[in-house]
Amino acid sequence: MSQHQFVATQYAPRAEDYVTSLNHSTGADLDQMELELQGCQAARVLDLGCGGGHVSYRAAPHVAEVTAVDLTPSMLEVVARTAAERGLSNITVQQAAAEALPFADASFDIVLCRFTTHHWHDMEAGLREARRVVKPAGKGVFVDSVAPSDRLLDTHLQAVELLRDASHVRNYSTGEWAAALERARFALTSVTARKLRMDFPVWIARTRTPAHHAAAIRSLQVDAPAAVKTYFAIGEDGGFDLDVITFVLGAG
Amino acid sequence: MADPAPIDPRLLEILVCPVTRGPLEYDRAAGELISRTAGLAYPIRDGIPIMLAEEARVLAET
Repeated sequence: MSQHQFVATQYAPRAEDYVTSLNHSTGADLDQMELELQGCQAARVLDLGCGGGHVSYRAAPHVAEVTAVDLTPSMLEVVARTAAERGLSNITVQQAAAEALPFADASFDIVLCRFTTHHWHDMEAGLREARRVVKPAGKGVFVDSVAPSDRLLDTHLQAVELLRDASHVRNYSTGEWAAALERARFALTSVTARKLRMDFPVWIARTRTPAHHAAAIRSLQVDAPAAVKTYFAIGEDGGFDLDVITFVLGAG
Repeated sequence: MADPAPIDPRLLEILVCPVTRGPLEYDRAAGELISRTAGLAYPIRDGIPIMLAEEARVLAET
């Protein structure tokens, strides 16, 4: 099974959960993204890795067209249905892989990408594709959970993420992100860092994490060095703070 | 059999083959997007084009 099929299989039963997830449907990062779309009424927007479609629902009222792309067919069905229910007739859905987008060069004015890059098998290829399908003077907003650059903290996060979700590939550091965006010829306009509190039971329920994996995560947290517990503010119940970064990009 | 759900014309304008970035022909009766340059036919399911090479049908040599 390819990584693409694996990710799609992992997410197929979870589509509805992602539409109702508060971490995904609300947030200061979504508000910021919406602000970036002011004055873009004529824009054609790509929602790359749309998941439950929250970026598309926020963007659609402000722009001309939204194309929501994901690997997981059941996510796309849920997004198409939810868009119809909400009267958002300018959202179309499309199954594709980020690393090989089926769009002509310069098809979009804006690319939006939220909480998805950590699933990509080849992040740099996905960023290059995003750059290719956006117009030379286009704009991008990328949001993702990121890893601390400190190796101890990084290893803890990746281990916990993989136990939670077998399709996890990697959370990159802010520095790795900035360098990869530059190599993809995006110009960084602004970087905004936020902490997002993960509610442990909600967090593992969303990915349907097996009980023995959830127990292993708790074990890693309880036995973690003090520096790890402090940095992630790991709580008695397993809740913790996740770093989330928003990159706003102009033409490079 | 009912007609396959039609593809959104706004998508057709911008879609290309993800392998070759070449043009696509829309075969409405078969519910496929055909890339002659890649020799692949991408299926359309419930109106959603499946633009993944691993899901595509390989076209017979003619």
